[in-house]
Amino acid sequence: MSKQIQDAYIVAATRTPVAKRNGMFRNVRPDDMLAHVLRAVVDQVPGLDANEIGDVVVGCAMPEAEQGMNVARIGVLLAGLPNTVPGITINRFCSSGLQAVADAAARIRLGEADVMIAAGTESMTVMPQIMGNKVSLNPAIFAKDENLGIAFGMGLTAEKVAQQWQIGRDEQDAFAVQSNQRAAVAIAAGAFRDEITPYTVRAHVPGEGGAVRVVERICDTDEGPRADASLQSLGKLRPVFAARGSVTAGNSSQMSDGAGAVLLMSEAAVKRYGVTPIARFCSYSVAGVPPEIMGIGPIEAIPRALKAAGIGKGDLDWIELNEAFAAQALAVMKQLDLDPAKVNPQGGAIALGHPLGATGAIRAATLMSAFRRTQARYGMISMCIGTGMGAAGVFEKI
Amino acid sequence: MSSAVHDKGPGDGPSQKETHVSRLIIRKVAVLGAGVMGAQIAAHCANAGVPVVLFDLPAKEGDPNGIARKAVEGLKKLEPAPLATKDRAQFIDVANYGSDLELLHGCDLIIEAIAEKMEWKLDLYAKVAPYVRADAIFASNTSGLSIETLSEGMPLALRSRFCGIHFFNPPRYMALVELIATGTTDPATLDALEGWLTTRLGKSIVRAKDTPNFVANRVGVFSILAVMYHTARLGLGFDEVDALTGPLIGRPKSATYRTADVVGLDTLAHVIGTMQATLPDDPWHAFYKSPDWLSALIAKGALGQKTKGGIFRKDGKAIVVLDLAKQDYRPSAGEVAPEVAAILKNRNPVEKFAQLRASGHPQAQFLWAIFRDVFHYCAFHLADIADNARDVDFAMRWGFGWAQGPFETWQAAGWQAVAEAVKADIEAGAAMIAAPLPAWVFDGRQGVHEAAGSWSATDAALKPRSMLPVYGRQLFPEQVLGEAAPDAGQTLWENEGVRLWNLPAKDARIGILSFKSKMHSIGDEVLDGVLEAVARAERDLDGLVIWHEAPFAVGANLQQVVEACKAGQFDMLEKTVAKFQRASMALKHAMVPTVAAVQGMALGGGCEFTMHATHRVLALESYVGLVEAGVGLIPAGGGCKEFALQAASLASRTAGGDVFPFIQNMFQTIAMATVSKSALQAVELGFAKASDDIVFNARELLHVALHRARALAESGYQPPLIQRAIPVAGRNGIATCEMMLINMREGGFISAWDYRVAKAAATALCGGEVDTNARVSEAWILDVERAQFVDLLKTEKTQQRIVHMLETGKPLRN
Repeated sequence: MSKQIQDAYIVAATRTPVAKRNGMFRNVRPDDMLAHVLRAVVDQVPGLDANEIGDVVVGCAMPEAEQGMNVARIGVLLAGLPNTVPGITINRFCSSGLQAVADAAARIRLGEADVMIAAGTESMTVMPQIMGNKVSLNPAIFAKDENLGIAFGMGLTAEKVAQQWQIGRDEQDAFAVQSNQRAAVAIAAGAFRDEITPYTVRAHVPGEGGAVRVVERICDTDEGPRADASLQSLGKLRPVFAARGSVTAGNSSQMSDGAGAVLLMSEAAVKRYGVTPIARFCSYSVAGVPPEIMGIGPIEAIPRALKAAGIGKGDLDWIELNEAFAAQALAVMKQLDLDPAKVNPQGGAIALGHPLGATGAIRAATLMSAFRRTQARYGMISMCIGTGMGAAGVFEKI
Repeated sequence: MSSAVHDKGPGDGPSQKETHVSRLIIRKVAVLGAGVMGAQIAAHCANAGVPVVLFDLPAKEGDPNGIARKAVEGLKKLEPAPLATKDRAQFIDVANYGSDLELLHGCDLIIEAIAEKMEWKLDLYAKVAPYVRADAIFASNTSGLSIETLSEGMPLALRSRFCGIHFFNPPRYMALVELIATGTTDPATLDALEGWLTTRLGKSIVRAKDTPNFVANRVGVFSILAVMYHTARLGLGFDEVDALTGPLIGRPKSATYRTADVVGLDTLAHVIGTMQATLPDDPWHAFYKSPDWLSALIAKGALGQKTKGGIFRKDGKAIVVLDLAKQDYRPSAGEVAPEVAAILKNRNPVEKFAQLRASGHPQAQFLWAIFRDVFHYCAFHLADIADNARDVDFAMRWGFGWAQGPFETWQAAGWQAVAEAVKADIEAGAAMIAAPLPAWVFDGRQGVHEAAGSWSATDAALKPRSMLPVYGRQLFPEQVLGEAAPDAGQTLWENEGVRLWNLPAKDARIGILSFKSKMHSIGDEVLDGVLEAVARAERDLDGLVIWHEAPFAVGANLQQVVEACKAGQFDMLEKTVAKFQRASMALKHAMVPTVAAVQGMALGGGCEFTMHATHRVLALESYVGLVEAGVGLIPAGGGCKEFALQAASLASRTAGGDVFPFIQNMFQTIAMATVSKSALQAVELGFAKASDDIVFNARELLHVALHRARALAESGYQPPLIQRAIPVAGRNGIATCEMMLINMREGGFISAWDYRVAKAAATALCGGEVDTNARVSEAWILDVERAQFVDLLKTEKTQQRIVHMLETGKPLRN
């Protein structure tokens, strides 16, 4: 276990439902989504003096345009928190949300703060290109063959992983079907209800007589899962990233919009406010891998995080392993011999969506809800990261 | 403008002949019936910039406009595309007869296109008539019902503005519209409508008499019946007959039976049924019935293409054809016997027809028989169905895609000899029926088309062409055999590649530059010609129009390029490319306006000339693209430079001024060799400008281009300045294009050579390996273009691509 002054506890967690790109949140701004979850997570701790919040760390993978300008600080102010509360936006692509939790926890563990918020927000709708609003690559990348992987699209890296780890199309499709089925079952059972703070979308459309008509819609359910996904329906999809490949839109994560937030406290703050913590933050680890097979990042990160937490993989009861692509998730599970029953019991990003930098914070809310509802003791959140990295964070139920 | 303009003598300037566009004002069209034809007619009106309301029945559940809405959605997926660009669909409003009839008040033209049931149509007329404005035109797109009877279903007050308006499927692409008057139709209204359809929708009009199936379907369906009859009589296979009745005799590739599959066997049977029901006294009446095999296919639900099987069917990758003897499908072969093929190759039609008749080969006998019976049928019925023989011939060209109509085919084959042969066959009982040919056939004539006009059996006279003002806009109208040629103008200068000429009767001081090369490809002579023509236009004329029949130009003369490559004359090739660039720049910076009048393909260098002209007048059916990548090259006649200029101009209006987002689309357009599927799309792709003219009737192209050149000249034309400080995407831009390429290469979508070629295009588009946002001159980008082009040309792989294209007409992916 790493050296620290004190433990950090998660005392509150929530998220928006996750929308498909250009779906129910197509006109919702990412800073508004962020403000929404910040307000909601603070509201979960009645009596909290918001001035005590040491910082709001927000993960965002493409912090530009509508989610630029240090979206964390904008979200804080839009949420109505006191202007004494600072905010920082951080970026480690797909693990930004988890990184935010780790960074917030680190400030507490070092004794620099007693109350912190970690969050993530991402609207993939507002990005005209998935790579951001302005794409501009460095010519130096193409000067050396070993750097070409930097320019690889994520789907192409999944194809490379599928080839190298020999994950076939059928296996990927079966995994995708299972993800959708698990998500559909969880939604039907209301398993996500507690962790989601419903969002009221207000659409402003041209109305009669020159008036703007405001149409309200309450969104409280993830939009992505396809309960009717089957091997047959997914089998019809064509590979997108390679002419003779196996990675399709159906066995890849969905592009999505969403936000999540968790509130962390030191033991002293927990006592002072008399709150019951949900979980203790145990450890966090990141590691680099070759960019062209970025999907295997968790293979390097997970053992390090487990070691830092002082547990073995057998101790894990609940694993949120981000399904960027079925190919890489399966490769990671195989190589690390993870128990498929414990990985994404309520479905993963193939069904639930993957709003890049928000996913870590969103899945943290899911894990906290699982801790509340089940007997699980150790839980883990892990994901692969573009340009070749992996991250993993371990939590223990209190 | 040259000072010579002050010295203009009489006849030097634009002529005063009346050639106006139709004065008919159609602000909005309503189409009743959102079926295949109705929806596509609506789409074509939207293409032409006329808003449409598309009506259908109210849906039984859900959105009451669901039926029409679904039809509009369907338009976006249909091939060939009815919409010139998908966004035109927004100009089609959807409506239903249940709640929206008030909308008819706002419509100036109402086209009814519901199912071919007289009682349904009459019911609908009674329902909508109260909502139709008294000054609106109401027309039925019926393909065969009596217009007179339909007219009686309209209130008296609306009958003078009621007529038949018969479009052919697909209406955007088939030129023909048959207009049918009733006894009460106001002639001036019909004339105005003819003008509107001709100019606005680009259609070719034939006035038909109100007889069942009008002209084209009457003759065309009979021709199909005759083909079916003789197929069975001679025991030929359907595939064999299609091989015989396609391009070999000047008819579409889909020939007879595949056309039937495409049209729908049920639709064909329906049209045959109309003839059976409505033409009881026709001597051919006994033949107006579907053959048993056709009825059997329909009963089985095998209706052709729409049910994925009919006379032909796809079996995996192979095509199989129904074999009546085996009562099963077999692989489609369709061979034409060498001796018959040899006869068909004979360019002398007189000999060809004599040989077909004399041959004992069943295929030759078949061909003679189908021509003979159609000749017999057309001569017999000419007086009933059409005003004159020209209308029949044009109807078959425009409605059925025949290269020649029946009368001109007959005339070309020797009128008297063929007439005697048909007569002999009738008398011998070999023809389908025994009725004799009409007497006028034997009045000593040599044909039905003459300089003075075409034969009218009704009036026993030669009828000249329509004199409606709209036809004054067609300086070179489509002609039937035997017609007097129009004024070919006066040659001002010519070389092997081009002719520079003018039309003194129209505007003596606007030069017309026409390419003489095959497919109007651009070789050394054409480049010399363009440079000389521009110089002469600057010296002697007020403007220059590049015009010739389609295609506009298929690109550089690759044969010359290959020969120079083989001889290792790369210095000479570089000089030729430089000349190409000079020619493009001459068109753009000439001291007189240059107007490109584009129709059909404008590819590669043809596209670059188009882009460089002062102004473009494009026929709707213009297929424009920079397709050099297909032969392993990049645009180097200024195409990349023009795109770079456009990107800089577009970027200058954005907050960040970043040129790359614009370059990115252009890069994809060049790398994928994207060709526009319409003039409107050419604007979207950046090959033409929103301010250019899009002309729906290609026959009016030259008229519009001459007037445009004149207007530019009169407005005191000054050429654009040559830009010296163009911000370019530079090195970062090239790298970002490479990012797209590496993903495509690693994914196996493109070859390593595709990558190399596309990178060259990226380099030129981004202004070379300079810093991002560096300022460069037009000449700099032209130099980059040229250097990349010549580098590629020196490689074996690009040379292989060029040779392959020349040999096969298809791109090589090496």
